[in-house]
This record gives sequence, C-alpha cells and structure tokens, in this order.
Amino acid sequence: MDARLIQGAAYLVLIIFLTIVLYGYIMHLYRSEKKGKRNYEKYGKMALDDELTSPPVEPLEENEKESK
Amino acid sequence: MQNPAIEYDYTVARWFSYLAILFGILGMGIGVWIAFELAFPELNYVAGQYSLFSRLRPLHTNIVAYGFTLSGIWATWYYVGQRVLKVSMAESKFLMFVGKLHFWLYFLGTLAAVVSLLLRYTTSKEYAQFEWPFDIVVVLIWVLWGISIFGLIGIRREKTLYISMWYYIATFLGVAMLYLFNNMEVPTFLITGMGDPLHSVSMYAGTNDAMVQWWFGHNAVAFVFTVPIIAMIYYFLPKESGQPVYSYKLSLLSFWGLMFVYLWAGGHHLIYSTVPDWMQTMGSIFSVILILPSWGSALNMLLTMKGEWGQLKENPLIKFMVLASTFYMLATLEGPIQSIKSVNALAHFTDWIPGHVHDGTLGWVGFMIIAAIMHMAPRFFKREIYSRKLLEIQFWLQTTGIVLYFSSMWIAGITQGMMWRAVDQYGNLAYSFIDTVTVLHPYYTLRAIGGLFYLTGTFMWAYNFFKTMTASRAIEKEPQFASPMAA
Amino acid sequence: MFSWLERNPFFFAVGVFIVIAFAGLIEIVPDFAQQSRPVAGAKPYTLLQLAGRQVYIKESCNACHSQLIRPFKSETDRYGMYSLNGEYAYDRPFLWGSKRTGPDLHRVGNYRTSDWHANHFWDPPAIVPGSIMPAYRHLYKNVTDLETAYAEALTVKKVFNVPYDKDIDGDGKVDVPLGTFEQAKKQALQDALKVAEETKRKDLVDMVKQGKIPEVVALIAYLNRLK
Repeated sequence: MDARLIQGAAYLVLIIFLTIVLYGYIMHLYRSEKKGKRNYEKYGKMALDDELTSPPVEPLEENEKESK
Repeated sequence: MQNPAIEYDYTVARWFSYLAILFGILGMGIGVWIAFELAFPELNYVAGQYSLFSRLRPLHTNIVAYGFTLSGIWATWYYVGQRVLKVSMAESKFLMFVGKLHFWLYFLGTLAAVVSLLLRYTTSKEYAQFEWPFDIVVVLIWVLWGISIFGLIGIRREKTLYISMWYYIATFLGVAMLYLFNNMEVPTFLITGMGDPLHSVSMYAGTNDAMVQWWFGHNAVAFVFTVPIIAMIYYFLPKESGQPVYSYKLSLLSFWGLMFVYLWAGGHHLIYSTVPDWMQTMGSIFSVILILPSWGSALNMLLTMKGEWGQLKENPLIKFMVLASTFYMLATLEGPIQSIKSVNALAHFTDWIPGHVHDGTLGWVGFMIIAAIMHMAPRFFKREIYSRKLLEIQFWLQTTGIVLYFSSMWIAGITQGMMWRAVDQYGNLAYSFIDTVTVLHPYYTLRAIGGLFYLTGTFMWAYNFFKTMTASRAIEKEPQFASPMAA
Repeated sequence: MFSWLERNPFFFAVGVFIVIAFAGLIEIVPDFAQQSRPVAGAKPYTLLQLAGRQVYIKESCNACHSQLIRPFKSETDRYGMYSLNGEYAYDRPFLWGSKRTGPDLHRVGNYRTSDWHANHFWDPPAIVPGSIMPAYRHLYKNVTDLETAYAEALTVKKVFNVPYDKDIDGDGKVDVPLGTFEQAKKQALQDALKVAEETKRKDLVDMVKQGKIPEVVALIAYLNRLK
C-alpha cells in the first residue's frame, strides 16, 4: 500500500470523526441543559466560590448518584 | 466536615512568582539590549564575545519563554489548582514536597542551562537549544509537575474539573510530547568516548529535522504561550471581576477546537521550503481555521465583562486582562494572515515575524502573567496592593511600548520584504542586501525604545509587588473578588 | 460519554493526547524516509567542515542567517539555485534559520572567498559599509575542537550510516575519508592550511602550522563548502 494513500485516508477519517464528535458534543451540551439533566453554566461558579470552606459545585461523594 | 485550621498553602506559588519577576526582568532586559544592538552595533562589544547579538538572542528567547513564562504558569498553577479543586496543598505532605522539589530543580536547572548557552553550548534548534543533559533535567521537572497535577486531582473535593484545569492538563501533555520528540539527540561522547561530553547530534537530518523542529516550535508556542495563559485568564478574569465566564459551554468547545486544530498548523513555518507541498498547504489552511477556537476563547473572555465594563475604568488588573484578550485576538488574526502563502512569501524571514511574536508575548502572555501575579499578591501576603496609580502608569507605559514595537516591526518587515523582491525596469534586483538593512535603522531604534518602555513597566511591576509584600496595609481576610489596592 | 470524560481526568488526558498526537503522526511520520534521501553527488562534511559547522552553531549564526533559498526569482537571482530537499541530507541539525537579519548563506561558497570571509569576520562594516554584523575576533584565537567534531562524524557514521570512508559516486575511490582520529586530524590540518593560506593572514597560517586550527579557519572551510 502506498504510504500517501494511508496518510490521506487516515486524515480524512480523522477529520470526519472529529467533526462528528465536535457536533455531537455541542448537541450534548445544549440538550442536557434543555432536559434539565445538567446545567453547564453552573461550573463557571467554580472560579468564583473557590474558598476551602465554600461547598463544592459538585462534591466528589455524589459520584455514584449520577454517573451518566 | 471542613477542618477550619486548613488553609490554602501558597508557598510554592509565591516562590514561582518571585522567579517570574526575576526572569521577567532578566529576559526582557536582554531583549531590550539586543534590540538596541541591532540599531547601534557598537553595543555588541560591551562584554566581549558574551554580548554579541548571536550569543544573547537564544538567551533572550529561552529566558522569557522558559524562565518568565513557565514560572508564571507554575505560580498560577500552584494557586489556581488548589482553589478550583478545593483542596489545600497543606493536606498532603507528599505533594508539598513535590512542589518544592519542582521549584528548586527548575530554578537550578534553568540557571545552569542559561549559563551553558552563554558558554556556546547549543543545539541551535530554536526554543530547544539546551544540550542533552539539560533536556533530561527538563524531563524530570516536567514529571514532577505531572505528579503535582494528578496528585492534586487525586485528592480533590470538587468532582468536575474547572476549564482552567483542562488547559493546564493539556499544557502538561502537549509540551511533554513535543519536547521529547524534538530533542531526540545522540550524545556523541557516549557513542565514541571522545570530544565534549555535552555535545550531541540530532536524530533527524535536514528536512526531517526542520519538520520536527517546527512541528515542535509552533506547538511550543501553542502549549507554552497560549494554552496555559488561557487557563489563567479563565480563572483570574472571572475571579477579579466577580462575573462567571460568559459561556461555559463555549469555553469547552473552544478547548477541543484548539486542541485539534493547533497541531496541524505547524507547517506554516515551512512554506516555500523543501517540505512536501501538501503539508505547507495544510499548515496554511489550518492556521486560518485556528482563528475560530482562538476567537471563541477571546470573545468568551471579553463577553464575561458584559454589563460590567465600568470595572475596566476602576480596576487596572481588569484593564490588563481585557487588553490581554484583545492582543490575543490581534495575534491570532495576524498569525493566520501571515500563513497565507502569498503573504508568507513576503513576510517570512523579515521583522514582521518577531513583531507578530511580540504582539502575543508582550500583550497577551506578559500582561496576563502580570495581572495574575498582582491578583495573587494580596492573597499571598494578606496585604492590599501597594499602589493602584503605579499599576495604571505601568499599564499605559507598557501598552505604548507594545504599540511602538509592533507598528515599527510591521513597517520594517514589509519594507524589507518588498525591497528584497523589488526589480528595476530591466528586471534586475533593485537593491543589494545591505540596502535593506540600513533602511531599517529608524525602525530598529523605535522598536528598542518600545521595548524599553515595556521593560520600565516590568520594573514598576517588580517594585509594586515588593512593596505589596513588605510595606502595604494589612487586610483582615482574603478578598473575595476585586483585589484591594491603595490609591 | 461526554459527561463521563469530564469527570475522569485520566481518560480525559488520554483523549487530549490522542487528539494532539494524531496530527504529528499523520503529517510527519510517513514522509520521513523519503525526505532523508540525499541528492546525487551529495557528500558528507569533511572533519574540518564539520568542525566549522559546529562553530557556526556555537556562535548561533543561524539567529540572523538563513540557509534556505525559496523558489522565487528574486531569491534565485540574489542567492543562486533554490534549495533542494536532498541537499540537507547530512545536516544534523538543519540550519535553515527563521530570520534574515543578514543574507541567506546556503550558497555563499559560490560567491565569497576565504580572504573575503577572513577580512569580514574581523571587521564587517569595513567590508560592507553599513553592516550591523558584529566582528567575531575571538574566532581568530580560539582553537577548533577537532576531537568533538570527530566524535560527531564517527557517531553519525556508526548510528546513521553516513557514508564516510565509502565510495559514494562509484568511481572506485573513497569520497570522504574519515579513518582514525589521527588520520582525520592530519587531513583536517592539511585542509586548514590551504584555507589559511587563502585568507592571506599570516597569523592564521602560523597557528595551523603549529597544529592548532583557529575556529575562523574551520568556519570558513564550512562556508566555502556551502554551494
């Protein structure tokens, strides 16, 4: 097989794959917000309420409750 | 549940901040000096061979990139990392030890490497000049940082990683990969048992070496001058202004966009060289696409200030950060323009390129590190910032410096590029090379003055920081948002 | 999948790594073998030239001078034939540079002579009025480190099969001899004497005759080779 061909094919596949992933990601972000599953904007608070004493936005203990 | 005695531990962050200031002054000082050398060549001889332009130029680039910028990155990492993960370094003796070891190894390693450059030990590959023993030290330093990152993540209280963390992790991985591959070299002493023990020879030859070098060189810019600086601004701008990021979703998207696109753009350093044509074109195209994620981040930062633009007037730190985002936008627009083949034909090898680099480094990297360290200073020392006025003056002085720098280099670069290709009516070259050098004298002078302005500002920053540490009024508790400052 | 990735730092890191590594993998690796083939007639550097190349690197000449002639008429008129891939096959590291504060040097051997260089390194503005290049007078005193140059030559011969002590063009003669260090040094001194005499500087000739090659002589030998 020609190295050039593999190169081109791998490149094309990667581009398409990543484009799909990226769009999937956008859809995922908005859909989970719409459905009320998760509000991504709340993570912005992590920079603001960052004292050791302030409650975490998502404590580690809740790990099991909503894993998906 | 919380132990009230535990507080964030800023020891290592503080140390790295001192180092950032020290290396900042040193690196920029050398930069200004060699800028003057280009305008007034007699200055080359003040310290014999040790002050020749060619000797000092790698020193300048390495100290600002790996001294100043990395110190700034780590100062903020050891600060931001704890805060967004909500865990103190004081909670782990091990991580504290790793942090301190990281600092000392880095400090001593960088000093030794800088001295080795002065003594002519260099591999000549730009931004990777250090000889092989220093490369090994760099790897060790990097591993220590990795332990620090993932160790702190391991004991975190906050489940989800804040966007800044993503960028720090990407910096860690990106630089690790690039640095390793680009510095593959064979120490000649180990093979033959003779000659200088520090000498090595590159694993790659010619065009391959160039490809690896610029794949590295370009992305070193990505992962030292862009990615970690975005990590900083995503924390410090919201924190200082009290406004959450305009769109957290946009920040996530820009992250993946940047990760994917950046690496492909390295080919734009090799346009019209002997690397395969398709790679040059790819470099060109991806550089243009790169505008999207870059502007995504930058606009996200600017929009964070939506409705709060009043702060821009009152708070000099906000000024620094907003202008940093603006310069980021400028630099990420300028870069793709220079990557277009026809523009590159003109711009490559000219002073427009250093001009472009300094838009990014002075405006974006420098301003962001200055703002971040001044934001941290009141938290470090429990004192208010010594002088708002000094910060204001510094801001305007440095901004003027940057404008002088890039405007003079634009003119110089385009002038020189046009003169190299100019022909007379018979189609012969119109200018000899030296004509294209002497014509640049006024621009070189202007550039050096611009640099001097910026350096003066850096000294003011150091003074302000020192005074904040020693003589400023104490505050009872850590400020939540805007950093307190005395008039 | 996405929310899972965001909370698992390890897999997140793996994801990032795959995304950034892919570009390098596709872009760089497949062309490697092809790029490293030398053009017909390309020969490795002699010991003296290699030593001169090391001086070039040590002094960071590449901070201001490129070695890459792009395929434009304005460049080929000024510097000569545009650069070819295979001409760099023995360049470890490559020295293309990224900035022309001074002119390109890829074919400087075609239009500059040893004595021009010797005068120019001593005082550039005297030869090229208006030049901002500094003088490199310490190169007239520093003695070339032939041992390190030999170590490099031997290393590339052993590790990368660079054709020293081989007949490259098929005329039955060894093209670039290297041999033992003693042999190589003798050859280098001979070559250096020739260059030193071309420079018409007595001090340089005297030094070479004493068995010490000034760095500038090695450097000039290297620059003369760039054609």
